[in-house]
Amino acid sequence: MKVFIIGAGQVGSTVVEALHADHDITVLDMEPARLSALAYKYDVATFEGDGTSRRDLSQAGIANADLVIACTSRDEANLVAGMFGRREAPHAKTIVRTSELEYVELWREGQLDVDFVVCPELETAHAISRAIGVPAARQTDVFAEGQVQIVEFDVEEGAPKSVVGVPLRDADLPRDSKVMAIIHGDELTLPGGDSVIEPGSRIVVIGSPRAAKEWGALLAPGGASVQDVVIFGAGRVGTAIARVLSGQGISIRMIEASRERARAAAEQFPKVRVYNAVGFDPDFLERERIGLAQAAIFAMRDDTKNLYGASLAKVHGVPFTIAVAHEAVSIAAFDQAGIDVAVNPRAVTAEEIVRFAHDPRTQQVAMLEGNRYEVLDVTTRETSRYIGTKFRDMPVHGALIGAIVRNGSAIFPHGDDVLQAGDRVIVFTEASNAPWVIEAL
Amino acid sequence: MSPTTGMRVLEPPHVGPPRRLGVNVRGALALVGTLTKWLAAAPLLPLAFALGYGESPWPFLGAIAVAGVLGLALERLGRDELRTVGFREGFLVVSATWVVAAGIGTVPYLLSGNPELDRPVDALFESMSGFTTTGASIVTDLPALDRSLAMWRQLTQWLGGMGIIVLALAVLPRLRIGGRQLMESELPGPEIEDLGTRIRQTARRLWGLYVVLTALLAGTLAVLGWTGLDDRMTPYRALAHAFTTMPTGGFSTEPDSIAAFQPVTQWVFVCFMILAGVNFALLYRVFVRRRVRSGLRDEELRLYLGFIVLGSALLVLQLLEQELSGSDAPLRNGVFQAVSILTTTGYATVDFTGWTTLALLTIVGLMFVGGSAGSTGGSIKIVRHLLVGRILRRELQTTVHPDLVAPIRLGGTPVDERTLRAVIAFVLLYVGLFVVGAGIIAIDTALQGPSLEPITVMAVAATTLGNVGPAFGHAGPFASFHEFSDLSTLVLVGLMWLGRLEIIPVVLLFTRQYWRL
Repeated sequence: MKVFIIGAGQVGSTVVEALHADHDITVLDMEPARLSALAYKYDVATFEGDGTSRRDLSQAGIANADLVIACTSRDEANLVAGMFGRREAPHAKTIVRTSELEYVELWREGQLDVDFVVCPELETAHAISRAIGVPAARQTDVFAEGQVQIVEFDVEEGAPKSVVGVPLRDADLPRDSKVMAIIHGDELTLPGGDSVIEPGSRIVVIGSPRAAKEWGALLAPGGASVQDVVIFGAGRVGTAIARVLSGQGISIRMIEASRERARAAAEQFPKVRVYNAVGFDPDFLERERIGLAQAAIFAMRDDTKNLYGASLAKVHGVPFTIAVAHEAVSIAAFDQAGIDVAVNPRAVTAEEIVRFAHDPRTQQVAMLEGNRYEVLDVTTRETSRYIGTKFRDMPVHGALIGAIVRNGSAIFPHGDDVLQAGDRVIVFTEASNAPWVIEAL
Repeated sequence: MSPTTGMRVLEPPHVGPPRRLGVNVRGALALVGTLTKWLAAAPLLPLAFALGYGESPWPFLGAIAVAGVLGLALERLGRDELRTVGFREGFLVVSATWVVAAGIGTVPYLLSGNPELDRPVDALFESMSGFTTTGASIVTDLPALDRSLAMWRQLTQWLGGMGIIVLALAVLPRLRIGGRQLMESELPGPEIEDLGTRIRQTARRLWGLYVVLTALLAGTLAVLGWTGLDDRMTPYRALAHAFTTMPTGGFSTEPDSIAAFQPVTQWVFVCFMILAGVNFALLYRVFVRRRVRSGLRDEELRLYLGFIVLGSALLVLQLLEQELSGSDAPLRNGVFQAVSILTTTGYATVDFTGWTTLALLTIVGLMFVGGSAGSTGGSIKIVRHLLVGRILRRELQTTVHPDLVAPIRLGGTPVDERTLRAVIAFVLLYVGLFVVGAGIIAIDTALQGPSLEPITVMAVAATTLGNVGPAFGHAGPFASFHEFSDLSTLVLVGLMWLGRLEIIPVVLLFTRQYWRL
């Protein structure tokens, strides 16, 4: 596939990194320095030019592209580039990055003539919303338009006996969920009915978002769902988070140092309590009892502020801190400081783009344990030899089907369910087995 | 999990259940215990009177026991949670302290066996009216009270006048919570003026001045009695009335209030009521630091005196015209009533129920004036009238000159816009509560009696909210509030409580915003 990328910034280069091995890539940017850095690192064609100039785009060969990705940091430039891409390469898919939620809504209403609109702020908000939904999770991701969630948990001493220490077939597992893997030390097993979850191991669970939450409540003793958060920063990221979380009935407080932005946020969200204050003022934190909040989200523009704010929140007793890391390198620093979750908006965006860009039939959606295991999202062909097979009769080949999406809704199959042609199958497999799994389905 | 890991969970946290309550109730109650346990010392004075006059000491011993045990128990209850007591808890501490104090005040009444005070609702009314320095009474037969019990009644007003929390701040070792906020809630007015480097020093100086002025008045009255100028003024009555004049309280040991005394005594009361309505910080500056000239230039003082002259003139003119005062002294009665109502004392030299409607309206109007900020007077307070007037003037000014920048000044210093907003909010809340209170009283008296004139209903609500004391008719200066139903009585107790703490700390307790995290 020929991919044409406009913008070689953080999002663009992350996309290049993910796609360069399997696809022919052309990158267009106005900064020669960025282009040469990319060209030295990856085998890609580069072109210095303006993404809003139709002549530059056609000279760079946009007409041959199968996929056009406009991901500069400027919304207007992306929209213009996407529009020209449509004209020059009518059969190519177009992806446009935007920071404006309004454009995302326009696209959803069918008013924008592009195939996919991705918004870093919104993706960040969704990622944070997932993390908050299952606070005990080590990692979590969603597939199939949010209907299927995969979560990785640490199983600790004191986890309930209904799940831990008994064979899975006798365990009282949350409905619509399945244990996909049990990891003990270096060893990973694909569990059967006889397998037992032991304290100290790690498990990967697939299920509906509701089941994922139930798992979280089950495995975090005394833990509870997050219903009360404080968001530091009412910029674009902060307001996107507030928008997503307030839709889930979570009680939200926002803290913003700029009077204008605080005012705008307060006007936009009538139910959110917005404070015009510096989030580092100990008197303020004490007076407003920020330490009693269940979770604090740091969405300020400056990573150092997010780092310091989150550390301060920990000092005040906030149990769950989530910080936005605008620079990828900040994640390690956040880890050092004991921050619980770090989200890099550009990387999250690149992931979304990569997910869309992949082969429509097979989507390698996630990797586990240092790339030894993969989660695949495969649509079954009519010629697959497993069509019509009951799940209990499926061969065990180091792969496990966790969920299928049929007619748009997710099913978490049991032994008597039957695989049908056209099912989207979420498969957990060893990486070495992946080609075999894709071929067999 | 994902190839590019945009989101990384670094350490899965343990999140506890959501907290709903943002207020440390136990810690606040512990502080209430600390602030109220010293009230156990208060009944010692009436106890001494009881022993001296051979009356029953048990009501006061009971009060000492209740105050001590309750204070220590509350203190112990939340001893371990004092660490997080702060700004938020301050409102609860102040409001609850006053309820607890009023509760302790009921003990002597309940134990006294006096048939008019043996019901808890009635005793609570009397006690709240005492501590809030309102001076409205449920008792019809004052001479029937034990002298020690009557002295307790006077004493509650004296304690409540300068403030039980301010006194606690003056006598207690340092508290965990910043005393300023507690003191601001109790000392009336938009802000307090420091008289020392520490809040404790300020509290001590205020109370010291208060004690000195009270002693001065008691001495003056005693001299009047001793020299035969007023033979009804015994030393007991001198002390009893000094206890209720300086806090602008208004309780009297006599059924006919100040009418029991000679004109010269009444003029002495007028002088000291006026003094009690002045900002005590200003009095301290003038009398102790001898900065007389700057004190007399004080804008609030000038407006206060202006209000007194205006109110007195209105009443005197009407009394002259109507010859209705029932006495030959329209000047004395007019001035006395104007000062007594305006400073929210509530003494009377004459039953003004029979005065003309215009005079009664003047009295109701004076109930909304109040003393100066930082005085012992209640109601809206002079400084707020001053600021509201200036805000209105500025609104008119900026209507003509929309781009005009016009900071509002008080004594030459610009006043923060936030303070101005708070002043407007206070006045609106005050008027709103008056309307609501009057409405409930109107409905309840229509259903359960006694039947009241409309102006009396208004006066009853205004007099309790403003901590004045008497209204008209059934609730007139020489009558009593005993005819009201229990519901009305409790509503009036609530209005007194709200009025004394300047509304906000109490109203806050009834909002969700206050309690939620």
